[in-house]
Amino acid sequence: MPTTGSSRIGSFVLYVVLVACSIVFLLPLYLALVNSLENWYAVPTILPEVFKWDNYKFATQMLDFWHYFGNSLILCGISVFTSTFVSGLVGYAFARLQAPGRSALFMIVLSTMMLPGIVTQIPQYILFYKFGLINTYLPWIIGGLGGNAFFIFLYRQFFATIPKELEEAARIDGCSIFRTYWNMFIPLSLPVVATVSIFNFQGTWSDFITPFFFLKQVKYPLATALTTINYTEGGSTQIIQQVSVAAGVIFMIPILITFFIGQRFIVDGIVTTGVKG
Amino acid sequence: MKEKNRRIVAFYLMISPWFLVFLVFGLFPMLYGLYLSFTNYYGFNMNKLKWVGLHQYKTLLTDSDAVHAMGRTLYLTALNVPLSTIIGLGLALLLNRRIRGAGIYRTVFYLPSIVPVVSSVLMWKFMFSSSNGILNSILEFLHIPAVNWMGYDYARLSLLIMLLWGAGGGVLVNLAGLKGIPRDLYEAAAIDGAAPFQSLRRITLPLMTPIIFFNVVLGIIGSLQIYLQPIMLTPGGRLMDRPIDPNYLYVVHAFQQIFSFQRFAYGMALLWVMFIVILVLALLVFRTSKYWVYYETEQEG
Repeated sequence: MPTTGSSRIGSFVLYVVLVACSIVFLLPLYLALVNSLENWYAVPTILPEVFKWDNYKFATQMLDFWHYFGNSLILCGISVFTSTFVSGLVGYAFARLQAPGRSALFMIVLSTMMLPGIVTQIPQYILFYKFGLINTYLPWIIGGLGGNAFFIFLYRQFFATIPKELEEAARIDGCSIFRTYWNMFIPLSLPVVATVSIFNFQGTWSDFITPFFFLKQVKYPLATALTTINYTEGGSTQIIQQVSVAAGVIFMIPILITFFIGQRFIVDGIVTTGVKG
Repeated sequence: MKEKNRRIVAFYLMISPWFLVFLVFGLFPMLYGLYLSFTNYYGFNMNKLKWVGLHQYKTLLTDSDAVHAMGRTLYLTALNVPLSTIIGLGLALLLNRRIRGAGIYRTVFYLPSIVPVVSSVLMWKFMFSSSNGILNSILEFLHIPAVNWMGYDYARLSLLIMLLWGAGGGVLVNLAGLKGIPRDLYEAAAIDGAAPFQSLRRITLPLMTPIIFFNVVLGIIGSLQIYLQPIMLTPGGRLMDRPIDPNYLYVVHAFQQIFSFQRFAYGMALLWVMFIVILVLALLVFRTSKYWVYYETEQEG
């Protein structure tokens, strides 16, 4: 592409702006890293002064860290497994099967996306309490079986783009409706399945308010544990910020890993579905 | 006919898990919460509830904490929604140019929005801390007097900065929208001698209005419900702490009433009022949308 003088200046300005924005967005992350390696009770710094890697060891030892980490994995496992599957089924029904009341029901799906979750959270607590489901993982299994409106919508948009002929061919070969979904639509839609799984994992991993309602401390996931338990030393109440931040950094690692693995899928998924709107 | 019926049965079977959970654990709790807001429920009197009519709602009108908190929440929303929409769109416009390393920038801008509240608040505490905090060091470097970021005068600004840091989350949806605008429109405009700024104003922005609209509606719904960030930003930052007044938002107040004072029925009334405010605002935006949102209905027909 031939570059004229003015567009060369233009692209220089573009890169300056991009890099400046990147620095602003990365600054808090950078500072967290630097200060997680500082001495205890030190004042925050911009440039690294010491590298106290022990803070990371203490972050996992001063709490029952790996126990809570394991709880997080259990919750994420339940949610990713059930919600990804059920949302797919519901999305398929809305995209490919005609039935009376379909559009009204789909309006309900969309409207649940708009309702503030908080309005139902406390009555839900009372309900779960009456059913004896408090301090069990059953609310997550039930929630997973209910799918998720955003995921249902995403699946529906994607399934709607798959050609009708493929489906008809499968039907002529004697495939049941469920097998058509499972053996054809799912393999063709792996980017969406991956996107939904990643969003699901991230959402469950960082949610600390639902477990705070429905579980007792021993079953807390890491997110809830880190917000309710302080890193302190001896009988002192002063929080050791450096160790807290180190714990926060470890806490982010699974989210970052899933994001880096999945970001290609996420972008492809949203672009494909978004355009078809 | 048989095939058609089979598909109808399959439809209902497939949506039934979602629908049952929605009825029992979504719709029912919602209506149940509405019912509780008309009773004297305080957490331990489930077996002898008394119907008190509009009493809780009347209390709300005389509760100056609630009224002020609502004002602050609306004010924060009025700042947060337009600014984060503009930032999200601006970053997407930058990324939509032909640039090297687009994936890296995309990741950098998107990253803050996936960092869990737990971690992001810990980070921002380092930014805001008043004794040798990072933001103050930067101000000092620029010869501007230091500021007490967590104090009364600046707490709201600090909260807003922290919220805007996550505005890059809108980049992905905006980029998807920008990529959906047909290239030939820009080519035609360029042939007609349109300057880049004119293309932006006459083609990009009008065609992006449906996505801007989506971001604004979701932004309003999300902003009005903010309660974790101000609590966590409070020194101490445990779940039941009371944030400093400028950050004492409406849903925080509802949580305080419910969990600190066991005023469950009153808390439900507070939340239902919030719900109605969200509905009214969303409806208003929907109503105005015909004046500024551009839909290609005639082409999609």
